[in-house]
Parts: sequence; C-alpha cells; structure tokens
Amino acid sequence: MSRTDGDGRAHGGERALESLSSRAPSGTPTGARSRRDKTTDLETAIDEYVPDGASVAFGGMGGRDPEAAAREIVRQGKSGLTVLDDARTTLFDVMVGAGCVDQYTGSWVGTSLISQGFNVRRAVEESIPHHLEMRDVSNFGSSLMFLAGAMDVPFVPTRSMVETDIPAHNPDLEVVADPLGSGDDLALVPAAQPDVAIIHVQRADALGNAQIWGNVVNDHLKARAAEHVVVTCEEVVPTETIQRHPEVTRIPFYAVDAVVEVPFGSHPWHCYGYYYADLPFYREYGLQSKEREGFLEWADEWVLPHDEYLEKIGADRLATLEEMESKINEVPGVRGDDATAPEGSR
Amino acid sequence: MSLDDPTHTLTGDDVAYPVDVERPHETSEDYSLTELLAVTAAHEIENGELAFIGVGMSLISGVLAKHTRAPDCQLVTESGYVGSRPPGVVQSISDTVLGVDALVATNQLQIFTDNQRGLFDVGIIGAGQIDRYGNTNSTVVTGDEATYERPKVRLPGSGGSNDIMTSCGRSIVMMRQQRRAFTTELDYTTAPGHLDGGDDREEAGFRGDGPSAVITDMAVFRFDDDGEMVLASTHPGVAVADVRDAVQWDLRVADDVVTTPEPTRGEIAVLRTIDPTDTVLRGSDYVYEVEFEEWSERVMEHWKTLQDE
Repeated sequence: MSRTDGDGRAHGGERALESLSSRAPSGTPTGARSRRDKTTDLETAIDEYVPDGASVAFGGMGGRDPEAAAREIVRQGKSGLTVLDDARTTLFDVMVGAGCVDQYTGSWVGTSLISQGFNVRRAVEESIPHHLEMRDVSNFGSSLMFLAGAMDVPFVPTRSMVETDIPAHNPDLEVVADPLGSGDDLALVPAAQPDVAIIHVQRADALGNAQIWGNVVNDHLKARAAEHVVVTCEEVVPTETIQRHPEVTRIPFYAVDAVVEVPFGSHPWHCYGYYYADLPFYREYGLQSKEREGFLEWADEWVLPHDEYLEKIGADRLATLEEMESKINEVPGVRGDDATAPEGSR
Repeated sequence: MSLDDPTHTLTGDDVAYPVDVERPHETSEDYSLTELLAVTAAHEIENGELAFIGVGMSLISGVLAKHTRAPDCQLVTESGYVGSRPPGVVQSISDTVLGVDALVATNQLQIFTDNQRGLFDVGIIGAGQIDRYGNTNSTVVTGDEATYERPKVRLPGSGGSNDIMTSCGRSIVMMRQQRRAFTTELDYTTAPGHLDGGDDREEAGFRGDGPSAVITDMAVFRFDDDGEMVLASTHPGVAVADVRDAVQWDLRVADDVVTTPEPTRGEIAVLRTIDPTDTVLRGSDYVYEVEFEEWSERVMEHWKTLQDE
C-alpha cells in the first residue's frame, strides 16, 4: 500500500504490527496494526478464525454467499457454531446437515425457489443430526442487530415486529413503550457481535480493502460488528485498483483480519459481474438433500478442498456461468476502466 | 425511467408486449391458475409506484408489471436494488438479474429504513397461513400439539414480510387457497395484518395501511372498514361456494362479487418468456429435468428477448 504508507495518518508509523487481533479495546489505535499483508489460504483462515463453538455471520444473500468458506467449515468438521445472520440459503443448510450448527438467529432459512432447506427442517422438526435452536427476527431486525453491533450500543429500536409473535418467541428481543413519550411501542433489537464474519466479495487488496459491486446486503455492517473478519474474494488486486473506485470499498482494511483469493467462491450462487448462479447444481442439491441419506452422499461427493471442487464442476461449466453474467452485468477491468485493458488474474 | 405521466397505468391496446405473439391483446385460451394468480397480482401495481417485492411468485408479478402495464413502476428488493428491470426470473433475493437497469444498488439496512419511513407504495408478500384480518404466518406450523421450538413444519421465517406489512404503504398477500391455510387461528403471527380489526393498526402506531388484497389461485379478497377479509372476485370456473369451502371462518362476500378478468395472450407470453424453465410457474417438471447446457442457452436466449425490448 505504497501511497498510504507513512502518509501521516493519526496512528501511522510508530506502532509495531501486532498479531492477528483486529479488535482491541475502544481507543486502541488500529490503523498501523492493520496495515499488513493479510493474504492467506482458505484452510488456514477457517482453522484460525472459526473455532468450535464460535458465533459466525456470513455475507451475501442468495448471491455473493461465501459458499466455499462454508464447505471448508464442514470439511474441517467444526461444531457447536451459532450463526448470527440474515437470510441464509444453501451454505447454511449444508452446515446444519453436517452437524456444525447448534443455534441460528436470523430472518429466513431455505435454499431456493425450487427446493426447501430440508436439512434445516430435519434439524428443527426432528433433531437430525441434532436439534437446531431458532431465534427469529425480521429482515430489518437482522440489519439492525448488526447496526447495533457495529455501533457498539446494546440495541437499536424499530417499529417492526411489534404486535406479532416474533418477540414472544425470541428472548433476545424486547418490546417497550417509547421512553421519550411518543406513546408508540418499539421493538429493541440487541446488538450482534459475532466472533467472526466471513464475507465473499469481488475484489480485495492484500490489506483487506474489500470492494463489492452490485448490492451490499448487510455485509458492511457485519464486517464492523464482528470481532474478526475473513474476506474471501474472486481476485486479490493491487491497492491501485482499489483506489480507482474507492466508492465501492464497502469493507475497509481496518476491519479485516484475513484475505483469501477464492475464485468462484460463491458457486452455486451468483457473483455480480463475475458469474451467474448455477441453478441446475443447487436443484440437484435440493433433490438429493430431500432425504438424509441423499444429503450425506452429496456431502461426500462435494465437500472438497475448493480447487478439487472447481475441477469437478468443470472449466466449461464455469466459463458458461461467466458468459451468462457477462450478458447482464459488468464491472470495470482490474487494470482500469478502458474496455480494451486486459482482465485481471483470471 | 421515463418522465412521461408515470401515474397512468396502461390498459387494453395501450400495453406494448415485448414478445412476438399473435393477437397479444386478446384473452388467453390456455393459462394455468398459477399464471392467473401471477397476472392478477401484477395488476395490483400501478404505473409509477415503488413496489417492494420478495422472491418467487411476487417477484415474477412485479417483473411482469414492469414489462407490461406499469413500465415506470420501480421494483424494490430487500437485498438492496431499486428500479431493476430483470430480463428473467429472479431465483433469489440477490439474483444478479436485479442489477439490470437498476437505479440504486445499496444495502438491506437502507432499503428497510426507507420502508419504515413510508417511502414505498406497495409491497407483495407470501405466507403459509392467514386469518380473517390478514395477519400472516410464515414461521412455523405447530397445530395443537407441537411448539415453536419443535414445530410440525418449520417454514422459512419472516424474511421482509413483517417489515413490509408493518410499514409499507399497502400490502398484497399472494397464497395458495387451502382450507388449512385460511385459518381461524394462526399458529404464529409473523406479520401484522389488521390485528384484531377496527383501529388496531392505528393504535399500534403502524405507518403502513396493512393488507389491501389477498390473491390466491381461486379468488381475490379485499378488506372492509373493520379490517376483515371480503371475497371480491372468483377466478373463472370457481364458484363462491368453492371459496367458502377453502376458508375456515364464515367468509364475508361482496354484494357485487365478480369474475376475475382473464389474462391476455400477451401477458401469458411475457410470463413464459420471463420463466422459460418453469422455475416459478411450474406448469411442468422441466426445471427438475433440464440439463445444464440447455438451461444456460435457454436462459440467455430469453434474457435477450426482454433486454432488446
């Protein structure tokens, strides 16, 4: 990060780089500590930042989901996880089926239009492979719990969820009369500060400046609310590429602990500007996961190190998904906005 | 996005269908009840309105409205897009087809903040159960025995339905008509309709007007001044008695109950262009059988039709 190194920022220069912790007590400078090369591999990042029993938030939402990272969590046999999140699709269903998750706080679980979240249903209804405790919030509630976490305040109020059963069955929510006297009832949404947020983006530099093209969902908030952040990305790019479009740096380096280049890291979902969703693939997941036995066979076949997974999908198929996305969206080239400039490392 | 009279919803011969079909303005002869449901819901969106829409049946209705009667409605989706003109079916809430022609690509907090501020005109949601006041359940089916913790059926959960029904200008609920779903007692209230009727919403301080219509594969319901559901129209071939049988309570029926208008040939053609693989419309098992290559070619070919319009 040549241009910003030693540029006289408040905490620049003097402090030695500290270890991997990005969050220190309030008031502790993070600038210098966070200016380092954070690139690593997926296996190391998951091993390091997702201990058994951790609370985890995932980025994206049926698009730009960190699917490869979740498969790595399953591959490493993590257990006792609490997922603090918004709406979750296949990656959550796979982790629940594999027995990684004990509790979920969030707004919606399923897989897609053409299949249900069969593992989630089995876990909640029949405790297979074990019981999954659910704590429901609305979608706005899920945004607000990360806003409160990012602000480091105990709660944020909303008009949503009052007069319904959502607060009645979620002990974390509280409905109160407005203490300032408007007479309105408000639901207080408590802060979520997960141990780790894992977020897949199109591009990041080695320091962790993460750029999201297209919609952002709650990722900018999750990154700030979490204790640690693992960014997986389609491409690690030079800082100069980030500087060309700073307006899409939705997650700043000072919130990030690890950066992992994971091409096609959202497959079978979409990644805006890079590839379209592989509907026939998650259709097959839906069909197979209908029965427990079928899911276990699916997991045997597909929970692999990511490079083996991509090889199994096949280069032609991945190229077709890229071609599909190119028909509908594009992002500027890595080396500049000139349409003739060559694309990046892919 | 045109600045021409955005409040005028196109009707009859004024609708320009972006597909090559003969006699597009005439009544369709071969539509399914699911297609009629989608078309009827699309008619609830007026031109120029901001329409807050969830995945599945409600989004295909929004996309149909955008490509036919209400080209200047602006679709709003919870994952962060405003103004999209998707050239095909939206498979998930961050489907990248929502990026096409979008005016805004933002985040979920911003979209729901704008919703709570009352900036959106109409929302469309789905639900598993509904009661006579339009309160809905999309969280758990428990019956008398099971519990929230260990339900008979775990449904997906609120998604944005609670937030839309609380704060959006008005809400439309799309459902399959089944007696067990049109219930006297919800197993769980996920999203607020007219609560227990009367002025309940006003007293609760809600900004939105709540549900204004329920659209099913048999009928269309509106709400009276008490906030109670009233049968407004039945679909062609469906009798009022059939609808009564598919509702658990003593259903109120409008004096002037009518037959739901049939879709045009153009509307059905556009719907099938949006969903060439039957992902939402489900007239066939095609989506469960199609191979990858054929699927990708077909999707791209159909996108092109609606992108070239």
